[in-house]
Amino acid sequence: MIDLIIGYTAIQSIAYWARKNDLILHLHRAGHSTYTRQKNHGINFRVICKWMRMSGVDHIHAGTVVGKLEGDPSTVKGFYDTLLLPTLKENRAIGLFFDMDWASLRKCLPVASGGIHCGQMHQLVQLLGEDVVLQFGGGTIGHPDGIQSGATANRVALEAMIIARNEGRNYVEEGPEILKKAAKDCRPLQVALDLWKAITFNYASTDTLDFEATPTKASA
Amino acid sequence: MTRLQQGTFSLSADLTDAQLKKQIEYTIKKGFAIGIEWTDDPHPRNSYWEMWGLPLFDIPDAATILYEINEARKAHPNVYIKINAFDNTRGVESTALSFIIQRPTFEPGFYLVRQEGKGRNIIYTLQSYAVQSGAEGTRY
Repeated sequence: MIDLIIGYTAIQSIAYWARKNDLILHLHRAGHSTYTRQKNHGINFRVICKWMRMSGVDHIHAGTVVGKLEGDPSTVKGFYDTLLLPTLKENRAIGLFFDMDWASLRKCLPVASGGIHCGQMHQLVQLLGEDVVLQFGGGTIGHPDGIQSGATANRVALEAMIIARNEGRNYVEEGPEILKKAAKDCRPLQVALDLWKAITFNYASTDTLDFEATPTKASA
Repeated sequence: MTRLQQGTFSLSADLTDAQLKKQIEYTIKKGFAIGIEWTDDPHPRNSYWEMWGLPLFDIPDAATILYEINEARKAHPNVYIKINAFDNTRGVESTALSFIIQRPTFEPGFYLVRQEGKGRNIIYTLQSYAVQSGAEGTRY
């Protein structure tokens, strides 16, 4: 695992080294908010995602939307698309300013981490999709019956949601019901849901897309 | 008593046939090709399970796939069977969904072999009881 603070050239060198030595390279983004949240001279995190995909890191923390850290759904979708898609279409609503063709460049797996728990599973699947690493830290270790129970609860919740989604059910609306039903056969999940059911982080994000319409002859 | 935990739905209860049909319909909708595989050796690093015929490419109805699954179950009633759904999308080209659909009635699990290496270093190896119990010449 590395952080952004080691510097961009070092990140690329380590990516080469990790590939040569059969290691997966996880990039934690500590340090990013000192410049990604600077409105006057910063760099948007979406650009960091682009660089890191090109540098060859395997995972990068890219936001959770519902967790304890910053991020609104469309900004985070812009990060995820930049990391995962083979071609990007201009879509200013998610911060993509022009078409980009990534050809066969390797993807970089987004990591969702920070304040997420099994009670939010339907939202996580809806907002983040399935090409994502869901890291439940406190949501695993903080389980009253121990880490194994925490891991079981998270996994059972995720599987129940994927089964429901594949069956074509409206898992976002039925989410709490699906979890309740899965918890009937899984005591650790029931305990976890009871503990964290009220934990939400609903506040307005300071991350914004920061664009203005380009003045054209027609609009002038 | 061990219960093998491998694949997408490893910690959930085994899917019923009705649930299985819905998952198969999902893979058809996504354009995945299903491969049926079986093995008596559930070692987590055994990625070479025996194929039940060819992967089922371009089959538009779930009934055909379920028929093949039931044929495989009939032919190999007391081993592990799983299905793999292969996504051929450019840039993915990998298994997108894979889960166990049949288990032997008794799952004997694994045992740990400790090998004493250089400088009192211990080298750990995991082996399947299922493989050990089969006498020479009975497995293949």
